[in-house]
Amino acid sequence: MKLSRTSFALMATLLAGTALPTFANATVTVLGWPGGSEETALRATVETYNKQASDADKVELLFFNREGFYDKLQADMAAGSNAFDVNLVATYSLGRYAPYMEPVDLGADAAKVFGESVLKTMQFDGKQYGVPTDLSLHFMYYRKDLVDALNRDDAAKKTYGEIAQKYLGKPLQPKDPDSWTWDDWAATALYFTKQVNPDSPVRYGTVLQMKNLLFNMMVFQSLPRSYGGDWMDKDGNVTVDSDAYKTGLELYKKLYDAGSSPKDSLSYEYAETNAAFASGQAATALQWNAAAADLTSTEKSPAVAEVTGIVAPPAGPDGRADHIHGLGLGLNKNAKNKEGAVKFLKWLATEDAALLYARSGGSPALSPDVVAKVAKERPDLVKLGEFASKYGYVMTGATSASALPVYELQAKEFTGYWSGQQSLEDALAHTKAGMQDLLKK
Amino acid sequence: MALVTRAEGRMYLTPLVGFLLLFLGFPAIVNLIYSISAVTFETLRSPVLSGFSNYVAVLNDREFWSSAWFSLRFGILTASAECLIGLFLAIFLAPLLSKRPVLMAPLMLPLMVAPAMVGLMYRLVLHEFAGPVPYYLFEWFGDSPAFLDINNAFRTLVVVETLQWTPFAFLLFYMAYSAIPLDVREASSLDGASPFEIVRWIDLPLMKPTLVIAFFIRFIDGFRVFDNVYALTGSGAGGSTTSLSIYIYQAFFKEGAIGKAVAASVVLFMASFIVLHCLNRLAGRRKR
Repeated sequence: MKLSRTSFALMATLLAGTALPTFANATVTVLGWPGGSEETALRATVETYNKQASDADKVELLFFNREGFYDKLQADMAAGSNAFDVNLVATYSLGRYAPYMEPVDLGADAAKVFGESVLKTMQFDGKQYGVPTDLSLHFMYYRKDLVDALNRDDAAKKTYGEIAQKYLGKPLQPKDPDSWTWDDWAATALYFTKQVNPDSPVRYGTVLQMKNLLFNMMVFQSLPRSYGGDWMDKDGNVTVDSDAYKTGLELYKKLYDAGSSPKDSLSYEYAETNAAFASGQAATALQWNAAAADLTSTEKSPAVAEVTGIVAPPAGPDGRADHIHGLGLGLNKNAKNKEGAVKFLKWLATEDAALLYARSGGSPALSPDVVAKVAKERPDLVKLGEFASKYGYVMTGATSASALPVYELQAKEFTGYWSGQQSLEDALAHTKAGMQDLLKK
Repeated sequence: MALVTRAEGRMYLTPLVGFLLLFLGFPAIVNLIYSISAVTFETLRSPVLSGFSNYVAVLNDREFWSSAWFSLRFGILTASAECLIGLFLAIFLAPLLSKRPVLMAPLMLPLMVAPAMVGLMYRLVLHEFAGPVPYYLFEWFGDSPAFLDINNAFRTLVVVETLQWTPFAFLLFYMAYSAIPLDVREASSLDGASPFEIVRWIDLPLMKPTLVIAFFIRFIDGFRVFDNVYALTGSGAGGSTTSLSIYIYQAFFKEGAIGKAVAASVVLFMASFIVLHCLNRLAGRRKR
């Protein structure tokens, strides 16, 4: 059958009709961090950007599940995917993804908005690989009403001292949470544990995140760090089998075994911890800063919103330490629309965009002058900046390409110890051997 | 005269063979090469041959053996529980279902839910502060067990898997049970057989092929379990619920040990092949 001229023309029109919109919609695809405040903030920020951007520069958002996010991203990028122009990147995965990304020049004003130290969380080999959108660290959330009541009651103080002596071997007395050492926190957690103190008004003294998950290791890390712990010494030797790590691991296990944390803590992560603290049945929780909005919201956490206090993690002999972890957006090497992607990233690094992102629920670490402009709406961001600058740290070797596998290894071995699957010595020996192997790569 | 000539047969088979070579043969060859290579995500296209070190690493890895033991126990226990409960339900509910076939639909519902969703659902249902099960246990008894701690995680997973997949075994058994001619049962009843004897000596022998097939399908599914376990416990507590599939996934993605992960999958493939081959031979011998 021969095509008539008319049908040929019709087909050509049809093809053109399907092809043209493709060119007209040459947008920038951004792969963001799914779920939580980061997604909400990015959606709101992009909506504003799209109102001012030309058609070719409009941003479309792409989210997949948090579960296995970094693995999927690794597989996509290693395969040379161009399904997204801009992708999420985190401080601890920068070395892993840098080979598939391109550095981006954010301009001189970016340093004024975020500060040099925050920009560094998105740098690898001295090059800027992304815009730092969110800084994550940890807050010690505690119940002000319970701690105040404890401090006012002499009989309760006596019980507290007896519990501290029995479980920790130290005659401690209640203190203001902002001056807690890890022992003070542990004694408080034990005092508010029903299993230890039947008069406790709540079931648990704390909520420990002990699931075999790399993010839980980030939460735990600040405890050994404040005792002087580090992954490696200055000569590059792995030092994870130090007394600092032993102390931290043993304290977690002691609290878990004493019933100070929910029985299912070995399957707990961010969401479970929030649910436990918000239920009003836990006195303290070392949790990500991102939870502050939910735990202090009368709508989301009516049982605890008005009595939740926030301080930096407790101190050890080396002072306080708070594990910092930056999330950001960077440029995919195989991006289809690099020009549009760079325009978006530069805009995202401006003061207006950063403030919009903060007002929409994101957690950018902003320089003091900039954060002052949102201090009323987002007081937690002031704390975020303060804690990051005073106590923030990155373990030696934790920005290498093997950083995430190291966290994974620690998660597997440490949770193995906490669950009683292996001894402390075995857990640390396996971790040391694995880290030596990973960090020498 | 043959219906199809040899040449026509070849022609008809070519697309299927081509499909198998492309979609099964190619990945299999790539896997074999990776399993004897030093390879990372950066060197996926240029692996360096390294002998059998990946196999040695896998076979010397205590976690490979503990995950293999988990998968084996999980597969046998869940398949046994699903088949026993499914068989009981099939025989017990058969009279009711023959009169009200519409009841099959709600009984089949668990099969419609994706295993990962089941894992997430139970993560919520069993959560001490958000889940209904611990809530009522605390209300009634003042305490609730830790469903996902080191002592109970395995049992909880077995129950969750059994609850989801028993309907599958039940469906097969009900069909096989319904296919047994009524006159056989009537004849044995006239000969004075009790209901238990009818089940023992008539129904079960006639349903035996279905029982065996259902057990093996469920065993294979249980042995390779991944989604619901990963969603519910994330291989915890303390790695105690790491199945072989999770072990391979973790080695591949979490450790970036691609050669080791692929070597483990080859070992798993060889072991499965030997087991299936032996079973096949056993079945063939019985037929003879």
